[in-house]
Amino acid sequence: MLELSNVSVKYGAFAAIENIDIHVGKGELVVLLGSNGAGKSTTFNAISGLQKPSEGTIAFEGSPIHGVVPDKIVQAGIVQCAEDRKLFPQMTVKENLIMGGYVHRRKRKQVHQSLEEVFELFPILHDKKDDPAGSLSGGQQQMLAIGRAIMSKPKLVLLDEPSIGLAPLIVEQMFDVIQKINKDGTTVLLAEQNAYAALKIADRGYVYESGSIVVKGTADELLSNDTVRKAYIGA
Amino acid sequence: MDILTQQLFNGLTIGSVYSLVALGLTLVYGILHIPNFAHGALYMLGAYVTLTMMLLWGIHYWIAMAVSVLVVGLLGVLMDRLVFHPLRHAPPIHDKIAAIGMLLFLEAFAQLIWGADYRTMETPYGQVIDIFGMTATTQRVLINIGAIAVMILLYLFLKKTYTGSTIIAMAQNREGAQLVGINTNRVAMLTFMISGGLAAIAASLSAPINLVFPGMGHLVILKAFVIIILGGMGSVPGAILGGYILGFTESLGATYISNDYKDIIAFLLLVVILSIKPKGLFSREGF
Repeated sequence: MLELSNVSVKYGAFAAIENIDIHVGKGELVVLLGSNGAGKSTTFNAISGLQKPSEGTIAFEGSPIHGVVPDKIVQAGIVQCAEDRKLFPQMTVKENLIMGGYVHRRKRKQVHQSLEEVFELFPILHDKKDDPAGSLSGGQQQMLAIGRAIMSKPKLVLLDEPSIGLAPLIVEQMFDVIQKINKDGTTVLLAEQNAYAALKIADRGYVYESGSIVVKGTADELLSNDTVRKAYIGA
Repeated sequence: MDILTQQLFNGLTIGSVYSLVALGLTLVYGILHIPNFAHGALYMLGAYVTLTMMLLWGIHYWIAMAVSVLVVGLLGVLMDRLVFHPLRHAPPIHDKIAAIGMLLFLEAFAQLIWGADYRTMETPYGQVIDIFGMTATTQRVLINIGAIAVMILLYLFLKKTYTGSTIIAMAQNREGAQLVGINTNRVAMLTFMISGGLAAIAASLSAPINLVFPGMGHLVILKAFVIIILGGMGSVPGAILGGYILGFTESLGATYISNDYKDIIAFLLLVVILSIKPKGLFSREGF
């Protein structure tokens, strides 16, 4: 479904990511592991069209998408839920979600149905539907960001550190929801530092270090990999 | 009491025009963070296009105004595509220099085409009427009704339509807007179109009670900047409220303090309000 081949993003002489090869199959839940600044978000931005790759190719369902503008990427079926959420803070929860369905704006019924599905997935968002997004707690904002991302019914959703800064109980809920989204048919590419929780729900994973992929494998392989265990699981 | 009511009505009229101009300015600032100094030139061109349509082809005032909205709106779009869009990744000072450059260019252009003379715009609404004991021309009443109607339509467009909401979304988070599939270049063009259109409406409504000349946008744009600064940069309610505050203060100040100092009042008001609320009346980001 998604193929990154030899992708690099460079700022002058500095390479944020270098020679990245990633394959994501339809229906998979793939995780990118790595510390802050390892290059996970840059990879996501390159896929989403927010950053132009300096080298390499990105293909989605067989068509090249590198260098394509972000709105066309969303139309193609890839939506990113960014690490800093990028919500519309003065808009209400409901307005934020409706904007998430922007690509289907001419199919009002479909947008409304997606809205109901998101409210079912995150009942708290229904309770807070008329509150400004900026007034929500961190966990609720993260739910809103994920809800907004799936409003357009994407084929592939990129979730950038959805557990960052959240209370352990909320983190658990978040991973359950991510698993549910995947099981409902959406392919998920997840960037995480919480390696254990992420690998427990993932099919496969890639480990980043200083902008390059150093280890890759199935979730089970990575869970038993010494480097991964030492660096990210603390065992 | 009669004088007070009369001056309040005059303040409402001036405030309506200021609000329309400030709205266009604040919309562009809200989404692109560009202080478009050339907005005053769009205002001036709005008046000239309406006047030319009426004088050259004898077109009715309202149709001439509609043509002007279209022409100046498209000019706004051109401004974005030819000047501001290529500068999107340039340092912010480049936008400001370009805006001043366009202001000077458009003024010189107007002078070349229409000359430097002061012109009057005659409309079919010059008759004097009595409303609740006040005396006013129909044109002044039209300015108020027209401006308020435009503001309501703009509000409904921004709040109730998907297309309008894209402007609000982009003002609040540009990358967030891109990530939900909004074409931000198209939104920028749309915003410049609306901004130009609002300037043309404001100028066409107010020209019959003022004069039309190449420098007519100077003071208006300076005051529009005062309004959006005191209302909160990028805030739509701030631009409306700020416009009316300034309109009323000027009108009452001219009557009860001195007509000679009425233009200074705007800047005094700015100093006072910013001393109390340094970020403006509606300081939150976005609309």
